[in-house]
Amino acid sequence: MEKGGMNRPVEEMAPPGFRQNHARLRKETLAKIRVLQRKFTTELLSAVLFLLLSIAALYDFAFFPSLPESIRAALGRPPSVNMIGALLLIYVFSGILLILSRMMSGSGKYGGVNHVGFIAGFYFFYHFSGKLPENFWAVFVAGVTILGLESYHLWIYCSEEIDKEKEVLALLDARPGGQGDGD
Amino acid sequence: MFKSLTARAIIPVTVSVTGFVIVCCILLYSLMKTDMINEVIRFETNQAQTIVKSTRYAMRHDDRESLANIIDNIGTQQGVEHVRIFNKKGLIMFSSNHKETGKLLDKNAAGCIECHSGSVPAATLGDMKQARRFANEKGKEVIAITTPIYNEPDCYQAACHVHKAEQKILGTLDIGLSAAPLVNNLTVMRNRMVIFSLMVLLVTVGGVAALLRRYVFIPLRLLVDFTEKTIQGSEQEIPPFGEEIEKLAGNIRRIVKELNSTRRETARWKKEE
Repeated sequence: MEKGGMNRPVEEMAPPGFRQNHARLRKETLAKIRVLQRKFTTELLSAVLFLLLSIAALYDFAFFPSLPESIRAALGRPPSVNMIGALLLIYVFSGILLILSRMMSGSGKYGGVNHVGFIAGFYFFYHFSGKLPENFWAVFVAGVTILGLESYHLWIYCSEEIDKEKEVLALLDARPGGQGDGD
Repeated sequence: MFKSLTARAIIPVTVSVTGFVIVCCILLYSLMKTDMINEVIRFETNQAQTIVKSTRYAMRHDDRESLANIIDNIGTQQGVEHVRIFNKKGLIMFSSNHKETGKLLDKNAAGCIECHSGSVPAATLGDMKQARRFANEKGKEVIAITTPIYNEPDCYQAACHVHKAEQKILGTLDIGLSAAPLVNNLTVMRNRMVIFSLMVLLVTVGGVAALLRRYVFIPLRLLVDFTEKTIQGSEQEIPPFGEEIEKLAGNIRRIVKELNSTRRETARWKKEE
């Protein structure tokens, strides 16, 4: 191909102002890719936190010192087991609907750590009402469902967005067919 | 594999339905188990009160032989693991197991501690607090209940033996029923719930997968085959589809028709040259 043809990098053919913009755009694209990768890593950390919490709950938080009676008295009576169960059901139902609606709209929002907080709340309520061993698996399955769906959604979302950013990089590097390295 | 259209359609549905059904089943099982245990305890409390009322006449007349006979007969009933009456000091006066008659019970033992935990023993307890669940010396699981025998006017006013009017409790009846029927019922209920959940999952996930395959994935595959064969140069027809995909298929048909006529035109020109 002749000099200045299609396969030459865009930077070599362009004026200096365009080169600056090009470098900025490349930097921004790489930063976006890093943010997306970090987003998914954060979600994985939430899943790890949930697993650690569940291991502690499986042993009814026996590793930790029991709460002093004075603090227990200050906290008051725990809610009834039926009420905790009903709340857990409402939480799972609304959580699933929320994640499915995010999947439908293609939104990249996620609430990994918040969900771990909610699940921890259920574990603690059951623990203080003395019914954690009977209800452990219900809370655990609820957590696996919510965090599993959320991770899957986020993984798909981040992969798609990273692919899009890689396309932009390939375009900037004038490498057709999305062959940019994207690092 | 997990990024394919099929996986994206099936995985969220499968995870959502499976998770929700399992959580519902576990919570439902836990609730039903509590209800069934409470029902057994209520039944046992009624039975204990019936025994106390049935033995009252013999007690008032200090008819120990009739009392022992009643306790023996109740003890032979199927599902009754033990029946005993002990006095205020914890001495077993009558028991379906004759070997333990005359023995002293420990106030810290299960079934006694509930009332004797404080400096002054409690005179009343709720039904659920009176009950205890344990495995007996034969290894059988037992749900037992202790019912106080209260001092009533016809007891302390009777001429036969003396009880002071201030004495609230004269003794305690302890009855233990086998938990085997309850455990069996719970196992049957759990198995039925597992089968029901599997059927719900199969119908839901299978139904969604089958409908998606029939109305989305097969038409898409046919369209992909059709476009690929057209690119390779072969001419063929595609069958009609459902509404949305039919629009896409119509557009593809029109494009392919124009492409084929252009190809034929080009071929004709080449021949003429």
